[in-house]
Amino acid sequence: MKRRTFLQLSGMTAAGTVLSGCQSGNEKLIPYLVPPDEGVTPGKADYYASSCRFCPAGCGILVRVSEGRAKKIEGNPAHPVNRGKLCAMGQAVLQELYHPDRVPQPLKRSGPRGSGAFTRISWEESLELLAGQLRALQREKATDRLALVTPQLNGTLVELTTRFMRVFGSPHHLSFDLLGPDWLRTATRRSFGQPGLPWYDVAETRYLLSFGADFVEHHLSPVQYGYAFGRMRQGRDTVRGHFTYVGGRMSLTGASADRWMPARPGSEGALALGMARLILAESLSDAGSLAVNGLQTEKLLRRLEAYDLPRVAEQTGLPQRIIAEVAREFATTRPALAMAGETVAFQSNGPDAVRAVQMLNLLVGNLNRPGGVYPDGGSRVGPENSFTELLSLVAAMRDGRFRVAMIHGDPVHAIPPATGFQEALARVPFIVSFSSLMDDTALQADLILPDHAALESWGDVIPLAGTRDRVIGLMQPVVTPLFDTRQFPDVLMAMADKLGGKTAAFPYQSYQEMLKGTMEKRVGRAARRDFETVWVELLRQGGLFETRQGQEKGYRRAPGSSLPNPAEPRFAGDEKRFPLHLLVYPSIAFYDGRGAPLPWLQQLPDPMTTVVWDSWVEINPRTAAEMGIGFGDLVEVTSPQGAMRLPAVIYPGIRPDMVAIPLGQGHRGMGRYARGRGSNPLVLLALITDGTETRPAWHATRVRLTRISEKGELVTAGHPQGSYRSELIEI
Amino acid sequence: MEKMTSPYKWGMVIDLDRCTGCGACVVACQAENNVGLCDKKEIAEGRDMHWLRIERFWVGEYPDVRVRFLPVLCQHCHDAPCEPVCPVYASYHNPDGLNGQVYNRCVGTRYCGNNCPYAVRVFNFYPHDWPKPLDNQLSPDITVRSRGVMEKCTFCVQRIRRAKEEAKGEGRMVRDGEVQPACAQTCPAEAIVFGNMADPQSRVARLSRSPRRFRLLEHLGTHPSVYYLKGGGREHV
Ligand code: SF4
Ligand code: SF4
Repeated sequence: MKRRTFLQLSGMTAAGTVLSGCQSGNEKLIPYLVPPDEGVTPGKADYYASSCRFCPAGCGILVRVSEGRAKKIEGNPAHPVNRGKLCAMGQAVLQELYHPDRVPQPLKRSGPRGSGAFTRISWEESLELLAGQLRALQREKATDRLALVTPQLNGTLVELTTRFMRVFGSPHHLSFDLLGPDWLRTATRRSFGQPGLPWYDVAETRYLLSFGADFVEHHLSPVQYGYAFGRMRQGRDTVRGHFTYVGGRMSLTGASADRWMPARPGSEGALALGMARLILAESLSDAGSLAVNGLQTEKLLRRLEAYDLPRVAEQTGLPQRIIAEVAREFATTRPALAMAGETVAFQSNGPDAVRAVQMLNLLVGNLNRPGGVYPDGGSRVGPENSFTELLSLVAAMRDGRFRVAMIHGDPVHAIPPATGFQEALARVPFIVSFSSLMDDTALQADLILPDHAALESWGDVIPLAGTRDRVIGLMQPVVTPLFDTRQFPDVLMAMADKLGGKTAAFPYQSYQEMLKGTMEKRVGRAARRDFETVWVELLRQGGLFETRQGQEKGYRRAPGSSLPNPAEPRFAGDEKRFPLHLLVYPSIAFYDGRGAPLPWLQQLPDPMTTVVWDSWVEINPRTAAEMGIGFGDLVEVTSPQGAMRLPAVIYPGIRPDMVAIPLGQGHRGMGRYARGRGSNPLVLLALITDGTETRPAWHATRVRLTRISEKGELVTAGHPQGSYRSELIEI
Repeated sequence: MEKMTSPYKWGMVIDLDRCTGCGACVVACQAENNVGLCDKKEIAEGRDMHWLRIERFWVGEYPDVRVRFLPVLCQHCHDAPCEPVCPVYASYHNPDGLNGQVYNRCVGTRYCGNNCPYAVRVFNFYPHDWPKPLDNQLSPDITVRSRGVMEKCTFCVQRIRRAKEEAKGEGRMVRDGEVQPACAQTCPAEAIVFGNMADPQSRVARLSRSPRRFRLLEHLGTHPSVYYLKGGGREHV
């Protein structure tokens, strides 16, 4: 055998054969640049296209593979969402593949729950174990006592999980993401009658007004919006776009703003309506847009009477002059764009506040216009309020309604304990986790069926609100699986097989085949005739990228939709005992916590604080001085819900009546780099209800601080107080 | 400045008005160049190994406070203070204007690091190992440095070499934009532009003539190859 052929068989091209027990066929990898028949050249790297599924943005990636090993992840230049660019997390996905603490094969619990004692078992045994549990439910006609918990899925995986649960006979599939934009879907439907998410044309706008939308960090599609932001700033010949940020904490996104408006938490909706009133009163609104949307200035003004400038200034704590100035700038610069983000949405009055911001867009006539806002091209369907569903699942679990829970992802870490999820889960007799690292959920499981790493997986990824075009990114395994793991969907299919009788529901041998089948349906009739060639081409370029801009129905005010009228904000915890507002925000490195096991991300200095390998609480210098808290001191943060100790960071960009803690640390498991590091601020969050709906108050919980000691053990990569030699950069 | 001995003069422009401080470039650099993993203790001692860091500046007081980010990497000075102090010529200037570092010649005196005004040279105080199977991520194009040597940003010289070889094979010059270091390649905001300063038409050369340009610690006379563009300019609300 020639060396080259040998490499080909043993290394990369063999990925398909060894994938998993239930897969067949010698599937070849399709490189991005080199024609597939050239094979492996020792010492020469190839690039394979795939997709990043670390966050829902779904960027396209190219993986550099050298002698069967993935070496580096780069952006796919042909992908319409990220155009060759990638965020820090996307790069670090490589370390998920090679993480030294991956679960190498199925594990069965052998000690008390949570003790971390497991024994290794074979796939046959483990699948039989799960099948036994499920068969028992079938026998007892109790199939609805199975719960499936996953992050918000998309693409073929939705089809598969839906079919599995339906065929099995349980309606209990919860798809919950802490950072999922359900709230934006709901608001958009109520404002404009459309279920999809908005796509903002940041690149072409001249005035960007963000109400807590942190698009550089995590909001919707950070790489896409980071790219657009660069274009808005210096990408055009004569225009430099202006950026105003509203929010009590200067986020990383807010740090790029020309003007920062630290409005009081919960007052953002009133601020938007105050601006709206001023724009209408001074006749700065777009008459055409009002007419098209069936609105009249006089009527609107009457409805907005309560939002006069003095009152809004008092509510927000911002000077009248500044509010008026920004409102005028926003209305007289065309195109101008307003975005609403998580920090606004997760207030007690969030839903109406988001709609108030959306109304600003309507007033200045930038719906469906360059530099304005359009319906996005992808994810039209998606959960609208998975938090309500979460609460009812928890209630059912607490009542002992479930016998088996199958869990993908790490909800034990990423769901606020105030929901009672963690305790309720403990009442489920049999818990299966599909985690590939021993995360907090896997620690509680009775059986772990480790999933492949992303770079070993097949899949399709429909990017979230990243483009107006239809984009379906494909994932192909770029390396042979390192361990004895199996893809989650393949396990579901194997389970369906084992349960028998209903296998007709799954006419595919493997998930890979199913994926191919869905893609065949998607490509259109002409392409279907020679689908093999098309399939290879799709894998080569990284997915199906269609240009069909402008075919979507544009935004228009939903007939009969009421005017947003955000109520007085309410907070968990009374002002006397808990004098400070708490903001819990996703950090740029850890997202909802899934980035914590990757050392490159732990080691990435947080851009705003330069802290590494830890979590912290941010305090305004004045507040800190009043309380005698110094940089790095250990501080106890207490909310009505819980308490935790954290090192303090003196943070000049936050309101004095507010503190902030980044999300993502405080894992009990998750491997050597994440375990026992920092704290998880979700334990502080209380629930609030606006009368109709209960929601996590992750921007509406109050806390108090107590200084404990000087020993915070905070490590920063830069000067702790930040460099003050700004003359270096001439600002 | 030295005489031109090569048709290439590699340089970089970083537009601070575009940079959002997102840190994508930092991880890209670490991934491309096998930069060591440093644990908390090591960083606490000031022995972080990043070749590219984002300096963060707070200016003013609440509520009139501003933040600016400044990505700092080796400035590839034409008159580099690190070069003449190296007793074994491990720090040297290459004909393309790069400030190179010969790892297997370095004996670890750290004179170069002391003499660099930008604090961009990092010393391997500890052996860095990659627990299996994490070592699989190591790039075969770059040496894995051992304890006791000084290392630094090379403008991803391995990429430059590859591009030059390919161009030479085809009997042409490297095209503008053909070679990008990992940081520039990944930067979502396209804040980092890399190219041949010797070609006045290249994007990097054109940007380096912007009225917004400045260089770090220019008064020291180091003549860096990295230009920064400050914020503002153009029509503005
Ligand atoms: S934005 Fe999300 S999908 Fe894109 S590279 Fe980063 S983590 Fe991956
Ligand atoms: S990747 Fe670009 S935007 Fe992000 S920090 Fe680096 S230079 Fe700035």
